[in-house]
Amino acid sequence: MGTDEAAPVSAAESLRLIETQRDAAVRSLSPDPRLIYWPWGLAWLVGFGLLFLRHGPHEQVRVNMPSGLPLAALFALMIIAFLVSGVAGARANRQITGDSSVRGLRYGLSWLAAFAGNAVICVHFSDLLPASEVGLLWAATSVGLVGVLYLAGSAAWQSRDLMALGIWLSISNIAGVLAGPGWHSLVISVAGGGGLLVAGFVVWLHWRRHA
Amino acid sequence: MTAPVPDLDPVIHAQVRLRVVVVLSALREGDQMAFPRLQELLGLTGGNLSVHLRKLEDAEYIVVTKTHHGRTPTTLLRLSRRGRLAFDEYTAALHALLDAAGSEETP
Repeated sequence: MGTDEAAPVSAAESLRLIETQRDAAVRSLSPDPRLIYWPWGLAWLVGFGLLFLRHGPHEQVRVNMPSGLPLAALFALMIIAFLVSGVAGARANRQITGDSSVRGLRYGLSWLAAFAGNAVICVHFSDLLPASEVGLLWAATSVGLVGVLYLAGSAAWQSRDLMALGIWLSISNIAGVLAGPGWHSLVISVAGGGGLLVAGFVVWLHWRRHA
Repeated sequence: MTAPVPDLDPVIHAQVRLRVVVVLSALREGDQMAFPRLQELLGLTGGNLSVHLRKLEDAEYIVVTKTHHGRTPTTLLRLSRRGRLAFDEYTAALHALLDAAGSEETP
């Protein structure tokens, strides 16, 4: 395409070129939402699902398995989710500097501060509570923090999707706590993990429009 | 045939430079893109891209910052306010041209 083409053809071509190039840039600059949301959704769905089946309401064992297996599975899947989403995010942001990096760094710092502080508080109170309540204390405070941090993230990135997800997780968490130990695991598995999977799908649909 | 339209900004109205401006306009406010990433996104040789970047820089449409990332020299690029305005005007001119062409064809 040169500068000397007939005007109407050239204008239409230019607009098509702009659209194609913008879509390619947007897709490259923001990670595939499935890689960000789905690993976490899967970790919660499976991890909290196993917790419910092994450590159900009133200490009921619905499926017999080693007592520590659900928590081990949850943590293993969360480590995988952390790596997958981290690599996807880093790939999208590589060789981009400026305000976004500062924002991302401070957002990461707020997750670190939240969970480090929360761990200290939970350890302190764990000795004073029965086993089932200890599990609920850790799970409820952690999921509550995730909900709040997503909400805060929606403010930093002006993202409606993150806001909806933050509100949904916060409400699910409160409902789970009110239902009590065991039930909380079921609620977080289905509504939390399921919510993350749905969110990933919805955001992916927006993202894919740029394909 | 319609004659070449003088209204279209010649700095932007060239395929490579238009694509450069579009990519940089997709960055978030306050962000900059390093040269190799831009090169990779556009699929161009470094030399070719440099020539076009120089023209955009001469028109003050982009801001080029030379810096160091550790020991490696890095070139950071972003659209200037003037460049963003020129791009907006360019797309507006394209739409105006298309609208004019559309109404001419109507019997």
